Amino acid sequence: MRHGRWRFLAGALIPALALHVVLVLSPYAQAFYLSLTDWTGVAGEAHFVGAGNYARLGGDSLFLDAVRNNAVMLVVVPLVTIGIGLFLASMMHLGGRGGRRGIAGSGAYQIVYFFPQLLSLVVIAVLWGFVYNPNNGLLNGALRAAGLGGLARSWLASPSLALPAVMAVLIWSSVGFYVVLFSAAIDGIPRELFEAALIDGAGGWATFRKVTLPLVRQSVQVAFVYLGIAALDAFAVVQVMTVGPGGPDGATEVIGLSLYRNAFQYGKFGYASAMGVALFFATLTLAVLALRPGREERAVPA
Amino acid sequence: MNRSPLPGPYPTRRTLLRTAVTAGVAAPLLSACVTGGGDDADPAAGNTGAKSADNPLGVKTGAPLEVVIFKGGYGDEYAKRAEAVYAQKYAAKVDHQGIQKIGEALQPRFVANTPPDVVDNTGASRLDIATLVSAKQVGDLGQLLDAPALDQPGKTVRDTLLPGVVDDGTFDKVPLTLNLTYTVWGLWYSKPLFAAKGWAFPKTWDEMLALCASIKAAGIAPWTYQGKYPEYINDPLLSMAAKTGGPALIQAVDNLEPNAWKAPGLIGAAEAFAELAGKGYIMSGSEALSHTEAQAAWSQGKAAIIPCGSWLESEQQGVTRPNFDMVMAPVPSRTAADALKQTAVQAASSESFLVPAKAKNPAGGMEYLRILFSKQSAKAFAESAGTLPSVAGATEGLTLSSGLGSVRDAVAAAGRQTFTYRFRTWYAPLAKAVDDATGELVNRRVTAAQWSDRIQKAADALAGDTSVTKYTR
Amino acid sequence: MTSLRERPVVAAPPEPARDRRRPGSVAGVHLAMLAWAVVTTLPLIWAVISSFKTDDEILNEPWSLPASPRFSNWTRAWTEANIGRYFLNSVLVVGGALLLTMLLGSLVAYALARYSFRGNRLIYYTFVAAMFFPVFLALVPLFFVVRQLGLLGTYQGLILVYAAYAVPFTVFFLHAFFRSLPGEVAEAAFIDGCSHGAVFFRVMLPMARPGLVAVGIFNFLGLWNQYLLPLVLNPDPDRYVLAQGLAALSVSQGYRSDWSGLFAGLTIAMLPVLIAYVAFQRHIRGGMTAGAVK
Repeated sequence: MRHGRWRFLAGALIPALALHVVLVLSPYAQAFYLSLTDWTGVAGEAHFVGAGNYARLGGDSLFLDAVRNNAVMLVVVPLVTIGIGLFLASMMHLGGRGGRRGIAGSGAYQIVYFFPQLLSLVVIAVLWGFVYNPNNGLLNGALRAAGLGGLARSWLASPSLALPAVMAVLIWSSVGFYVVLFSAAIDGIPRELFEAALIDGAGGWATFRKVTLPLVRQSVQVAFVYLGIAALDAFAVVQVMTVGPGGPDGATEVIGLSLYRNAFQYGKFGYASAMGVALFFATLTLAVLALRPGREERAVPA
Repeated sequence: MNRSPLPGPYPTRRTLLRTAVTAGVAAPLLSACVTGGGDDADPAAGNTGAKSADNPLGVKTGAPLEVVIFKGGYGDEYAKRAEAVYAQKYAAKVDHQGIQKIGEALQPRFVANTPPDVVDNTGASRLDIATLVSAKQVGDLGQLLDAPALDQPGKTVRDTLLPGVVDDGTFDKVPLTLNLTYTVWGLWYSKPLFAAKGWAFPKTWDEMLALCASIKAAGIAPWTYQGKYPEYINDPLLSMAAKTGGPALIQAVDNLEPNAWKAPGLIGAAEAFAELAGKGYIMSGSEALSHTEAQAAWSQGKAAIIPCGSWLESEQQGVTRPNFDMVMAPVPSRTAADALKQTAVQAASSESFLVPAKAKNPAGGMEYLRILFSKQSAKAFAESAGTLPSVAGATEGLTLSSGLGSVRDAVAAAGRQTFTYRFRTWYAPLAKAVDDATGELVNRRVTAAQWSDRIQKAADALAGDTSVTKYTR
Repeated sequence: MTSLRERPVVAAPPEPARDRRRPGSVAGVHLAMLAWAVVTTLPLIWAVISSFKTDDEILNEPWSLPASPRFSNWTRAWTEANIGRYFLNSVLVVGGALLLTMLLGSLVAYALARYSFRGNRLIYYTFVAAMFFPVFLALVPLFFVVRQLGLLGTYQGLILVYAAYAVPFTVFFLHAFFRSLPGEVAEAAFIDGCSHGAVFFRVMLPMARPGLVAVGIFNFLGLWNQYLLPLVLNPDPDRYVLAQGLAALSVSQGYRSDWSGLFAGLTIAMLPVLIAYVAFQRHIRGGMTAGAVK
């Protein structure tokens, strides 16, 4: 038995590990090394520069803009997406008159909400570029049609509005996924708990806070990690959609864009790798912080 | 064509690399490392033939040739025609690739020292030429320029090119790239529209402001620009500055001289564009429009004037209405004491062809360019692409469309007074700083003085950065 | 879970102290749901409609219906831009990669979730950490690794790389899933003399089906839209996958202003995914339910 156990473990782990080490870890290990060099990305020569690339990050005002914007997105995108997702999922669930899936048509809603998840971010960014067009875009068109022409703006070209406009696209594209996820989690809450809350005289908000929220907490945590990673990336949307891209004047610059520009346009691959390594640690820290409490609570023996 | 000797720190780096990599990665992968370098043999060894009058570059018959072409607005048929000529003449197999993402596809091949023999390094994702040059990845085209032109007896290839073309591809006195198209920047308008309204295109900036007032009164936006990419509005601004300050101003800017961006010519031009915006002469919303959107708005008559390079006409083919008859005019002079005449134009060649330093068949690569830059080939290109080739006289005998005709006339009127800034090619990060600043300027978020200050700061920082290879002119 | 079926009408709404028992409130819920549905679908419907318009119509009347539908946009995208061929290439590569990913990923997740041994945690984090690294940083080194293996520009190479980059998420997702499965069935199977492999393939894998379906669909979406990897590892235009084909179309659009062709191409790329989703959406939601419940 013991012998079979090791043979099975070896068979299960070694092929995937080999693939992982060769195709994933080794390129990244090289990228880590390159962050300590002045490699240009177009020749087989590089000089070791130590922590020089990292030291320069602090004096790169565009990179600092990117860090600031990513930090804002890191807070806003997950909070708003999860907020809307929970709102729609719980309304869908408890607003109806019986039936397992809550209100009538909630299945259809979930199908429709999921659509943006199916499109690549490049496609989404192209579409939203048209939505935000100041002169004949959907958004300003709708505002004018509704008699709110005074609210029409040059969304992507105003420094104060461009970042919110980008975040709105990220939120738009991911809400559907979380509606489905949270809806599934709420499905799993035993009905008795809601009934007990009712008997105790709890109102809607109290029930949500005391029953629903704690029981979907793990889903919310996972959502924070996924959305946090998406918010730290945001490369495709910013590159395709924004002025510059990354503008106006750095207002929508993100780390991914700085990295891409330095690596592939400026020939500073070593410096760009340093940005990537910094980004990697930021993402990893986020994931560890967000997942840690959940990990301890779940007392499943390994 | 030989590889440069390895620099000093290389062995140290190699040792470090080995330690780092063996820590986590299996040994066979070592040779797969990006900075591991290739073998030191001359890749072109054995790929040269005897030189003759008919074969001045010494191409070896039968040696295969690999050509990578940027397949953008001009397609790649023109390149295939030249390949067919080459294949027949040298009984060689020509491998052709017409692609869009030049950089992503070729970067690893340059690193591996297995680049193709000819590269058309063009398009949004082209490789940064300054980086390629400083990494010694680009071959010297001197032999090609001095070789006899294919179909113009008594002339060398160099003699057949328009003014400035050789300079555009020269880095530290070595010609490294050869540009196929000749681009002229200016201001575009619809001739019939202006004729119908009785407007004459202004020659001075004061006239421009007066004209803008009457255009606005007629219910049309005087200007629009491709706001999503602020470099488009940069071009007329820098052209105007160049006309005021002349070659000295351009040289100071390109050579990163202290306070170059504080020249009165530059600040004056910035003030002029701030005024244009301040008076409401730029179509609202322009600042967020992509090039296709802004150009479409212009060709639909929503705005009267748009700045652009000479590719505009062919780019607008699908959406321009009949009888729109677009023409290009030079940027107006700002002062009566301008150093350059009003008809001077910003012009530069683009669509860069290069033969990699580590190409397997460099002689073949250059011979291919000799065929591509022949008058006959250039003429066919002008006809199919609707743009000016960098070969002189390539449009002779052709009936030109209104836009292309106006570009040719502008080049003729400018004579020797064509100019171009090189900093955009040499220092991509500075170009970005200028674009960002100009975007802010024409949206009135910074003043002309602040504009000049922040660009000067970026230029100074670049000048002080020892890790960047510097060029001078 | 089925107990919710009999949930009384009095079930409290989660929303701030408004009483949902009144009929008006149900309408309010529908209104909110409908609003988001409109916001979600409008841009997509607009893309489909635009694919039938002329360039002039797209630019002048971006929000109106085409005067007469132009199917030639689709023909142009399908033939000139080779969307049909790229589509088949994508099916081949993504299909192969998906099978490989699911096999390797479920094996690793299961082994790490159900067996305790030294280094278990290390292997788990080795996989999971890879989810957080920006992919374009690995691109150029990856090119050399793939070239060294002699797999550059081949379907096999692309399949292996796709699988390698999809396995970490698969392990992350399925790890929790396998942990949550009850152990009794597996123990019974062991007592019956089943080998470790047989327990996995015959007992545990079928039990994990909802989770496999869910992660399979996420992987499919991720791989189908993958763009950076083929960009560098798949330079031969004959083997382009759909995302590369679309990028080529949108780049030449940037120079030629062929908006209608671009939208037709986007729609052709979008529709099969949407149709597949509508067909399989029950499984997807089922899988997510299974994944979320524990």
